[in-house]
Amino acid sequence: MAEDVKPTRKNLMEIEDRIDLSERGHGTLEKKRDGLIMEFMDILDKAQDVRGELSDDYEEAQKKINMARAMEGDVAVRGAAAALQEHPEITTESKNIMGVVVPQIESSRVSKSLDERGYGIMGTSARIDEAAEAYEDLLESIILAAEVETAMKKMLREIETTKRRVNALEFKLLPELYENQEYIEQKLEEQEREETFRLKKIKEKKEQEEREEREAEADAAADEPEMEQATAGGVPGN
Amino acid sequence: MSFGASNPEYVNGRVRSRRASLFADEDYRKLIRMGPSGIARFMEESEYEREINQLGTRFSGVDLIEYALNQNLAKHFDDLLDWSEGRLYDLIARYLRKFDVWNIKTIIRGVYTDTPADEIETDLIRAGEIDDATLDRALEADTVEDVVEIFNRTIFHDALESAYEEYEESGALVPLENALDREFYERLIEDLSGSYDLSFTEPQSGPEALYVEFLQAEIDFRNARNALRLARSGADLEPTEYYIEGGVLFDRSELSRLVTDYDELVDHIAESKRYGDRLSSALTRLREAESLIQFEHALDAALLEYSDTLSSIYPVSVSAVLSYILAKEREVENIRAIARGREVGLSESEIEEELVIL
Repeated sequence: MAEDVKPTRKNLMEIEDRIDLSERGHGTLEKKRDGLIMEFMDILDKAQDVRGELSDDYEEAQKKINMARAMEGDVAVRGAAAALQEHPEITTESKNIMGVVVPQIESSRVSKSLDERGYGIMGTSARIDEAAEAYEDLLESIILAAEVETAMKKMLREIETTKRRVNALEFKLLPELYENQEYIEQKLEEQEREETFRLKKIKEKKEQEEREEREAEADAAADEPEMEQATAGGVPGN
Repeated sequence: MSFGASNPEYVNGRVRSRRASLFADEDYRKLIRMGPSGIARFMEESEYEREINQLGTRFSGVDLIEYALNQNLAKHFDDLLDWSEGRLYDLIARYLRKFDVWNIKTIIRGVYTDTPADEIETDLIRAGEIDDATLDRALEADTVEDVVEIFNRTIFHDALESAYEEYEESGALVPLENALDREFYERLIEDLSGSYDLSFTEPQSGPEALYVEFLQAEIDFRNARNALRLARSGADLEPTEYYIEGGVLFDRSELSRLVTDYDELVDHIAESKRYGDRLSSALTRLREAESLIQFEHALDAALLEYSDTLSSIYPVSVSAVLSYILAKEREVENIRAIARGREVGLSESEIEEELVIL
């Protein structure tokens, strides 16, 4: 509130500095927000593609495993799956997009060759191979989707934060600072006017006093010859 | 190999009555229109009544159907081994050892992944030659090494033991599983080569010749499947390691050469006198399609065609028994395919086209 600020020149200078900084910050944040939105739109396109692929891969994998379960039996499919103890490895690194740290997920040992899936080749069928392959593809898609969607969420959060900061500067901080600046300027001008008026009054008062003094002196001077005259004539009775 | 007195007349007599209780084509057509619970009810009123009632408290839905089918299959095949004697026993056991391989693999996988014994037990199909006591002991084993040791009295022990070293080095089950499958396929036709010239591309006469021809087809089709899978996968694998002796379609060096050229491999199968015509439509689809599944489907259908001829030509022989085994397996596969297909929402036509082999 403007009334809370002491209307001093020092405060005015401070507020002017803050306005300058805030205006520059506002400009930079606006540019950051626009940049983030552009990056976000790119990621959004990619995320939509990845989502589509993920959905297709999931349907394909489900179809393949359903066929394998139907033709080979659930027990055989479960058995083939149990033959593998080794899990895929996932490592996460990070990269920076306009100040936002997003994960970069690297996976290894997801897609496997025929001899790496654990089950024997000679006693199994192409149905199990195709179901395994479809699930490997699905897992790759899930990992990619996790990377893109996490980046998207982080970007979105950052855009939201930046937007809030821009709005806070634009609609709260800067208007308050402008108001304070204006308030102090008005107050200072008022004070200046008061000071001028006061000085003027003092001056007038001083001049008045001087004038009165001078008049008093003049009066005194006028009275003095009369007194002298009276003294020189003496008192007739003495 | 057992050379005692054989009893094909007795076994075939029993098999004929069992064959009569198999589902007919119209039963499948009814099943295709039912949901999983309807299928279970239908099974409850059929040959599968005992298994459905027995397992009904532990399982439900399609799992109940699948476990009931497996248990029923095991019971029937176990009976076949009980009834048969001498050479007939030996010939039947050769084929049914595929369930021993299944059970050993299931136990090894379970122990490898620390699965509780009762969970592994439900996945066993006790239709092979290995006795229940040995399987139960293996279920309680703590390590893969112990499992290998427990099967020391079976024909698979040497193969398992020699693959165990590789398993220890790699930590993967592939060598053990491949060793089991190879042992099964190579023993399928072992010793029979003395009686029949396996290099012949044309079948010879007699019930056992027909039986041998079927086993050769089984081996050839397995080699063809594996060769096509290796060719498609693009993995840097040595094809000869996956070659099974005993077939007539490829020899080891041929397979090694063909795996590198997918089209030539398909041409080779198409040009085969024995299988070319049988598989021509599937091979045409295979050239065009991305997936091997249709081709495998065609191979399964071609094997079943063999099984149909097996029973009609020599009705009182091992061929007729084998034909029944295949028909029973087909029944189990079809019912399971229908139930699973219905469970996942496949349409009647999809189930009929893609899954069921009538």
